[in-house]
Amino acid sequence: MNYEFSEEEKRFRESVEEFCKRYIEPRWVEIDEKGHIPLDLIKRLGEQGLFAIPVPEKYGGMGGNMTLAAIAVEEIAYHDPAVAVAVYTLLQNGWPLALSIFGSEAAKQEILPKVASGDAFFGIGSTEPQGGSDVAGIKTVAKRSGNKWVINGEKAYISGVREMSELPEGGGYFLVSKTEKAEWGHKNITDFVLLPKWHGKMSEKVKPTVYDEIGRHGISTGGFKIEDFEVDDEFRIGEINKGFYYVMEGFNIARVLVAAATIGSARWALDKGTEWIRERKLFQGKPIASFQGVNFRFAELYAELEAAKYFVYRAAWMVDNTYLTNSPRFKPRDLDVPVALAKMKGPETATRIYEEVLKWLGAYGYTKESNVYRGWLGTFSYTIGAEGSQNIMRYVIAREVIGKEYVSHTG
Amino acid sequence: MRIIVALKPTYDVSQLKFDSEGVPLLDTCPVTLGEADKCALEEALKVKESLGATVVAVTVGQSEAHIKGIKDALAMGADEGYIIKIKNAWNISSITVANAIARFAVVTGPYDIVFTGSGAGDTHSSIIGPMVSALLGYRLVANADKVEVKEQKAKAKCTMEDGTYNYEVQFPAVITVTSEANEPRIPTLKAILRSKNMQVKEIGPEQLDLSVEEYKDIKVIKHMVERKRVIMEASDQKSAEESVIKLLTFLKDEGVI
Repeated sequence: MNYEFSEEEKRFRESVEEFCKRYIEPRWVEIDEKGHIPLDLIKRLGEQGLFAIPVPEKYGGMGGNMTLAAIAVEEIAYHDPAVAVAVYTLLQNGWPLALSIFGSEAAKQEILPKVASGDAFFGIGSTEPQGGSDVAGIKTVAKRSGNKWVINGEKAYISGVREMSELPEGGGYFLVSKTEKAEWGHKNITDFVLLPKWHGKMSEKVKPTVYDEIGRHGISTGGFKIEDFEVDDEFRIGEINKGFYYVMEGFNIARVLVAAATIGSARWALDKGTEWIRERKLFQGKPIASFQGVNFRFAELYAELEAAKYFVYRAAWMVDNTYLTNSPRFKPRDLDVPVALAKMKGPETATRIYEEVLKWLGAYGYTKESNVYRGWLGTFSYTIGAEGSQNIMRYVIAREVIGKEYVSHTG
Repeated sequence: MRIIVALKPTYDVSQLKFDSEGVPLLDTCPVTLGEADKCALEEALKVKESLGATVVAVTVGQSEAHIKGIKDALAMGADEGYIIKIKNAWNISSITVANAIARFAVVTGPYDIVFTGSGAGDTHSSIIGPMVSALLGYRLVANADKVEVKEQKAKAKCTMEDGTYNYEVQFPAVITVTSEANEPRIPTLKAILRSKNMQVKEIGPEQLDLSVEEYKDIKVIKHMVERKRVIMEASDQKSAEESVIKLLTFLKDEGVI
């Protein structure tokens, strides 16, 4: 067992840190304030090779792995604790990897190089207005018509809707759809590559809207209605009616990076809090760090953050072994618990740290000037959802560890 | 074209902390390649990309920080990397460092250009480049803010206290580069992975016929920042507002905000 990052991983982290200090840290507050990641920053992230990190080089990717992607996302979130840039980056690593595993050769060749370069967006289109956790209950339907599929439905709470519309090339989604008709169940789901805007041209058959959210304003969340949108069969992802399994595996990949983003932001908050409790002096010049009411709580939160980091990098290591080195010992289902642990622990640890740091900073912490609230609201989003809600993580852990015969999602 | 880039890992003074007595806490300070050195390497890599060149990175010392500095240079794009194996390199004299680089250039050369940073981020002595040029008999351009290399010659713009000088220099030459010259590239993941198996070569002082002279009496004892004691007075609302503007202007001029 080796708990140390390799020399290349450390060097890569340093390079991401340098990039962030130069291009992200000076802008993160402005990004959150204006609610917009500048397109020149997205392009620069692409040029620096921070998208499609685990995607093979033959598809324009960096030929790296998920451990490296997690390092990049964690470090970006440290320098943009409101996590918009980190979330954009995680989407551009997780879902491109899923497409490179399950997509057709034509789709991979067409889309992935443009995502890697920062010219196009590729995210996940699963959640619908009636909910996100019940994937088997989605209502979007794809009907076969010769060599094409005609898709109708509506997706909601989808990341990157505005960015997809604004990027010069455009982009799209790993779309989860019912096959032929919308009956509840997981055995009649097929996935497609849906490209509402491609080669710079926006389709009139997909109508996006953008929501007004309370945090991590830099990256958009929105929805879109799909009306008779035609997709070539070569843009179908994997086999017909196996889409539920592909998207669940895709969620497992992306969840690792969601957790990585939250621990990066949490690390920033704890560093900021530590700096404060060392310097803030009360009661005849004693640093507040000297009081057990503060330093015991620090120790507890530090331990939680360290535990969350281990969960994240263990899960990333398992994804690497499952999909990238194809170690025969690892099966996709083996990822369920390690990934759920990371996704459950990361966001909840982050918000706990933010709540405590806000208290350490006292009235200053409650001011907008401190900027701590930006990270709090940003990471709080991931205690709600994103690639699976927190209760779904609990369900997965309980189901796998206690046993399916005892734990049911309907019980 | 063959180019040496002489590099030195230095304490990252932006992250240097001091104890309550003002003594620098060097043990906890990260050590990285100096900014001006990275700009020197960037100039060499630009020449490599535009005209074709072999870029050889070299540092004097054998600590982990020296080895890491050369690996960082390889990740940025240097073709070869060397450490000159001298123990306790933090405490050797500047003439020993300059001699080591000059002897290295003779033994592994010939070279057209020696690039180096105009000064190290920690000692700021700015004398290595000029000494190397004297030892090798190469022409010298010091403190270049802008460099343009053509076949066998370079143009350089150097900003001095009394004005800007534009030089044209024939090779072989030593060119020292300031941290204003460019924005050094940040190694990409692909470049880092490509450099993974590149070897950091070692060369000993005996191979360079080099005698090592140690500093004996130089030690950083204390760092002090004198208070400026600038007072903005205000007795009423109007003068308070004026003082706020004066204070903001002062802080901006000082580079604080």
